[in-house]
Amino acid sequence: MTKFKISLITGALLATSSVFAQVTAITNATVHTSTKQGVLNDATVVIEDGKITAINPAELAADVTIDAKGQVLTAGFIGSMNQLGLVEVGAVSRSRDAGDDKAGIDFDTSTAFNPRSSLIPYARKGGVTQNVTVPHGGDSIFAGLAFVADLSGEFGSVTDKHTALVVHLGAKSKGSRALSYKQFVDKLEGQQKALAEKDDEKDKKPSLEAQILTQVLDGSMPVVTHLTRASDILEIIKIKEQFGINVIIWGGEDAQLVKNQLADAQIPVIVSAVSNLPSDFDSLHASLETAGALEKAGVKVILSIGGDGSHNVYQLRFDAGIAVSNGMSHEGAIKALTSNIADTFGIEGGKIAEGQRADLVLWSADPFEISTHVQKMWINGEEVSTESRHDKLRERYTTDSKLPRAYTK
Amino acid sequence: MQKFAPSVLVLALGAALAGCQDQGPQKDHVKINKNPYPSTYSVSDNSSTLITNATVLTGTGEKLEQADVFIVDGKIAQVGKDLSVSADNTIDAQGKWVTPGIIDVHSHLGAYPSPSVESHQDGNEMTSPNTAEVWVEHSVWPQDPGFNRAREGGITTLQILPGSANLFGGRGVTLKNVPAHTMQGMKFPNAPYGLKMACGENPKRVYGSHKIAPQTRMGNMAGYRQAWIEATEYKSAWEQYDAAHAAGLNPDAPKRDIKYDTLRGVLDGEVMIHNHCYKAEEMAMMIDLAKEFNYHAGTFHHGIEAYKIADMLAENGSCAALWPDWWGFKMEAYDMVQENVAIVDAVKNSCAVVHSDSDITIQRLNHEASKVMHTVNQNGFAIKEQDAIKWITYNAAKSLGVENETGSLSKGKQADVVIWDKNPFSVYSKAETVYVDGAKVYDRNDEKYQAVSDFMLGQR
Repeated sequence: MTKFKISLITGALLATSSVFAQVTAITNATVHTSTKQGVLNDATVVIEDGKITAINPAELAADVTIDAKGQVLTAGFIGSMNQLGLVEVGAVSRSRDAGDDKAGIDFDTSTAFNPRSSLIPYARKGGVTQNVTVPHGGDSIFAGLAFVADLSGEFGSVTDKHTALVVHLGAKSKGSRALSYKQFVDKLEGQQKALAEKDDEKDKKPSLEAQILTQVLDGSMPVVTHLTRASDILEIIKIKEQFGINVIIWGGEDAQLVKNQLADAQIPVIVSAVSNLPSDFDSLHASLETAGALEKAGVKVILSIGGDGSHNVYQLRFDAGIAVSNGMSHEGAIKALTSNIADTFGIEGGKIAEGQRADLVLWSADPFEISTHVQKMWINGEEVSTESRHDKLRERYTTDSKLPRAYTK
Repeated sequence: MQKFAPSVLVLALGAALAGCQDQGPQKDHVKINKNPYPSTYSVSDNSSTLITNATVLTGTGEKLEQADVFIVDGKIAQVGKDLSVSADNTIDAQGKWVTPGIIDVHSHLGAYPSPSVESHQDGNEMTSPNTAEVWVEHSVWPQDPGFNRAREGGITTLQILPGSANLFGGRGVTLKNVPAHTMQGMKFPNAPYGLKMACGENPKRVYGSHKIAPQTRMGNMAGYRQAWIEATEYKSAWEQYDAAHAAGLNPDAPKRDIKYDTLRGVLDGEVMIHNHCYKAEEMAMMIDLAKEFNYHAGTFHHGIEAYKIADMLAENGSCAALWPDWWGFKMEAYDMVQENVAIVDAVKNSCAVVHSDSDITIQRLNHEASKVMHTVNQNGFAIKEQDAIKWITYNAAKSLGVENETGSLSKGKQADVVIWDKNPFSVYSKAETVYVDGAKVYDRNDEKYQAVSDFMLGQR
């Protein structure tokens, strides 16, 4: 019965796959587990029903065996902090769903996710198998709720919603950041008070906003705070301590200045590995060395693409390479694209271990190197392709034909 | 008062009839100073340098193993194996790679500098669809920390362009990426000026939304054509004036207009077109537009769809300055292919360039070129490092009209040179030492050669 349920969910994939529900074994792989096991050489990974069912089993009985010939197997990379699935073309308003003036704490954009977006197969070219999508928000400091989708491109691929609350703090082009902090603290205190008084109105169903704030206060919903200046980081550490909330920092260009405080407060930091310009007075210490310095201080680091991260999530692996050449450990950078994100957001995947979601990528060599390419990849145990409409366009214009190009399909 | 009346009459006639002149003694010939803000750049160090045992990419299609590069008086003196010369400085580059200094043909550093605060938005005069009168060099803040970051990535020459909101955005300027506290101190001596033009969505959106032409792509074309008609008349008026004066007559000079000075510079072949233009059908029309008014269409920048008209670009002698993978931020950037640069490059007599248009990726144009090379080699191409390096050196120099000065490691060229710690097409590679005209301007291992902007000094 369990098998039956899963195959219903991924029914669309079933039609194009002959190996589903079979046992697939990837043998002789150099496995970067993103766990305490580290890197396993000449290892075998067994996949069945969308899960990793065994690593180096004593006996191997597989329907399909793939000899990796020593090539690198990693967990699928996880993109984050972009609008993947919520935007097709940046300047086309009717293809954008990540922002709304009225957005607030309860702005859940998971209902607007489009798995058929052309950005998704393109992202797979970089070995990206899941993504934490965040809304832009609107006028409020509260941008709304992050959600998670796998990058199968199939309907029903949102795998988690209400994943985290996103709050914009730090520099403002209008007004003072002081008011942002006050608004944030007021909301938390207001909900604390409401919870304390709850006994009087037991039968009243709390609003979605109240439910979210309750989850924030009990630590079950992380809060992604978007800020860069060191003094802002210290301010958010105080708020974390005051309310016992689960804080993630996104941006953090100047985080190096307070790396030890961040490590002590156990706050994960999401950085762009290539952000090294003082774009404003909040980020005078932006540096290529930030990711490595935070890692060395014991901070959990997540790498995400800065700028237009939605269209080029595929570049994550190159950013990781740049982080490595500027002081981050290679394994640390693998984790920064896999397990660190999964652990931070409490989502499945990001690790190669028994029982984990079978989101896997087999690479021709070191995943960060530009000369390396994806050999094979699996999402939820299903092999997926890296072909996108970009490849169709290339083929059309590089294939000789006597007819106009429009006939080359 | 009596004198006043006739001279008004003469002025009016002079304006109506070019070449009309009064009977007085010949007035001084009015000449337009074409270089009123001249370069003050000078080479800071004339000592000779010998780099030995490197893998050398010459920028002209060659890869030399275990080769030496000899720099004398700021110029490339010799490139080859086991050079028997002695130099003031000898650097053992065993295991390292040497390339020409990297050139970015599309940057806004200094004009849109860091920090990108309100007071620093100097890159685009968005007040009229034709602002050919502005010169972006007048906006360049030489203290932009981005210049230093770019130098640390091997950038030795870059063209600063004004933004793309206008049909004619103004003059670009080519700079040597040396630390200086004036723009003139960075200005590439004798490099031709560029004129920024823009196709497509930007001009029609920026002006059309204010009910000012252009509002459509056909409005864009009408705007260019009208301007070139006026520029042609301006050129003709000055040529008639010069001819009449040379013939000993006493003509009045036409009214000076710096907007048309620039457009005339294009018609005279002195100013090179740098055209922000994404789409195949628009680039094809811009090539015809240039033929209609007898100038060269120049370099197409961003050219997301250049691969659709690669033959046409090569036939017209137009460079295409492209990204490896930016796309999707607007409709005209939707049909990106990661092989764009290589498809353009594959045609005979082509000029494919990898550009940044970014203060971040300008720091790694070698990686940008590498992305193209490795992606296309997955799809049937066989691009080698010695080919791909041309996209960010020789071809870029050609796009700027400075290929006889820089962009390759051949004898007599300016010694703009980068030593990389490893193959620059590796993601882990970093520029280790950078030379401009033979003078060391960056050394990753020596703080003495790591420039710091005034803005960053003392910040804590």
